Amino acid sequence: MKMNEEMLNTLRSVGSGGVVVHLTTCSADGVPNVVGERFVASYGEEHIVIADMFAQKTKVNLNENPVGVITVAHPTKERYWAFRGPCTIIMWGEDDDYDFHGAKAGDVLREWGDWAAKEPPSEVPPDIRPPALCQRGVITLKVDEAYSWLPSESGKKIL
Amino acid sequence: MGETELSTLTPRMMNWLARFGAHIATASKSGHPTTIVVESATIDDGKYVTYQLSDAQRDQIAGNIAENPYVAQAPHAIAAIRAAYQFKGPAKLEGNSLKVEIKEIYCTKPGPEAALRLDVLSMDQVIKFEESRWRDVGPPK
Repeated sequence: MKMNEEMLNTLRSVGSGGVVVHLTTCSADGVPNVVGERFVASYGEEHIVIADMFAQKTKVNLNENPVGVITVAHPTKERYWAFRGPCTIIMWGEDDDYDFHGAKAGDVLREWGDWAAKEPPSEVPPDIRPPALCQRGVITLKVDEAYSWLPSESGKKIL
Repeated sequence: MGETELSTLTPRMMNWLARFGAHIATASKSGHPTTIVVESATIDDGKYVTYQLSDAQRDQIAGNIAENPYVAQAPHAIAAIRAAYQFKGPAKLEGNSLKVEIKEIYCTKPGPEAALRLDVLSMDQVIKFEESRWRDVGPPK
């Protein structure tokens, strides 16, 4: 499912004028996990990518249940979006030609596999800045649906 | 640790949660996730967090809560950056109130502390941890 222009322009690192998001995954037996992510971008028109900086439970969950939800957390500015779809971590070492719902592993890793070099978090205050940025791969979500999380219309399809 | 009481929500956690609410992650029993966002919360006894849901939010997650009440929460808005925690526990939906008993608390700050479990430490230890990592005890007034 193609995202609209506003979504494509908004889904980028907060330091570049984008947003912080939360990523929800869950185990195969349904225990959810939700964590904030600041290194986010759109990839093509149908994928959202996030730096995998050793998101431990996320990786375990995606290995057994490859689906996720990405919700915009900050700043929202009326962007009450939740994106849901198949999700995986494209790891360094993956075959270049591995295709995840239209995203080629080699292309994703070449563009977003070293986020700290591409978009260093220089604007982040010292007390919340990660002490080191080590990236293991790229969390990749194919947008299958998008719904509003605005409380009054939560769950309403927006794509 | 002896008889030291294990940590519940610290004042810092409660201050951020109360002010900004959370992204509440639910899932069906078969692992299909749905996340809602509630922009404030009330906290009782340091371990019960209650969210007032809209009708649309209640309808969206009622099925998941009925078959799989365990939920995860992470603070919303600027707290997603400033208050890098995750809280998990069983939830009960009564009318439009979603009440969660906090059973697990994690630090989700990126880096070596990511996924550090805090509820297995004493309250003193968690507060010392917070004081060493952050300069605030809640959102600005």
